[in-house]
Amino acid sequence: MKVSAIRQALLLIALAFVPAIGEAIYFRDRVSWRSPDRSSEMVNLDQAQSWGANAIWVDARPDNEFEQGHVPGAIPLNEDRWNELLPTLLAQWSLEKKIVVYCSSQSCNASREVARRLRDEAGLKEVFVLQGGWETWLKSKR
Amino acid sequence: MDLIVGGIFIYAGVIKAVAPLRFAIDIDNYKMLPWAIGVRLAFYLPWLELVCGIALILRFFYRGGLLILTALTFIFIAASIIAKVRGLDITCGCFGHTSKNWSFTAHLALDFAILITLIALWVSSRAQQREL
Repeated sequence: MKVSAIRQALLLIALAFVPAIGEAIYFRDRVSWRSPDRSSEMVNLDQAQSWGANAIWVDARPDNEFEQGHVPGAIPLNEDRWNELLPTLLAQWSLEKKIVVYCSSQSCNASREVARRLRDEAGLKEVFVLQGGWETWLKSKR
Repeated sequence: MDLIVGGIFIYAGVIKAVAPLRFAIDIDNYKMLPWAIGVRLAFYLPWLELVCGIALILRFFYRGGLLILTALTFIFIAASIIAKVRGLDITCGCFGHTSKNWSFTAHLALDFAILITLIALWVSSRAQQREL
């Protein structure tokens, strides 16, 4: 039986839905389906600053950007040097501390990814992504 | 050649299928699709690559698999170029985070090599079909 390439493609497209739907069901509670960040995982600058010494600021930007300027006391933690930098954060972390991760701006993704890894891989609770990132911090200081 | 190309797509599919949330963030980096669509694609595309890779190796629905993989590779190349032109920092390629440290040129060279191979396989399959 000869089946045209387009018909074959349509069948393969349909076939791939089966495992994909299964995986999506498995992950359904761990994924934010409507927006990249769950609102409970975001924090605005005022709120984060109100935590004072109870907040650990984590800079998820590349090293060169961190060196050019960062939130006072922030710890660098980016994906390039994850294993090397993580112990510094863990040394400062304690149960009552909240972690505020930021990257360059609202549109960057590094803070989300670092926050996700801190929750999933390092098993830390109370990890938040700073809305607006470094850009918002800079604006607030002008 | 079918084995190599099929194997590449199976590997690319598996590596992304095991970490769909990471892949969703990678898709979001391109800033071309709303998150709601990107995250659903992150669950679907790896399996599509995997199914098509298997189709190539088993030569089952071979031409359909080739058609999809050629289209996917073409779209990926176009999306990468558009993202680069827009000045976005694209940290992922067709191998998800495994290839995040590759340069843009290296990404593009590999993607074009895959695209050319897929087109060559398509042309050769058409020639074989005509001979039958």
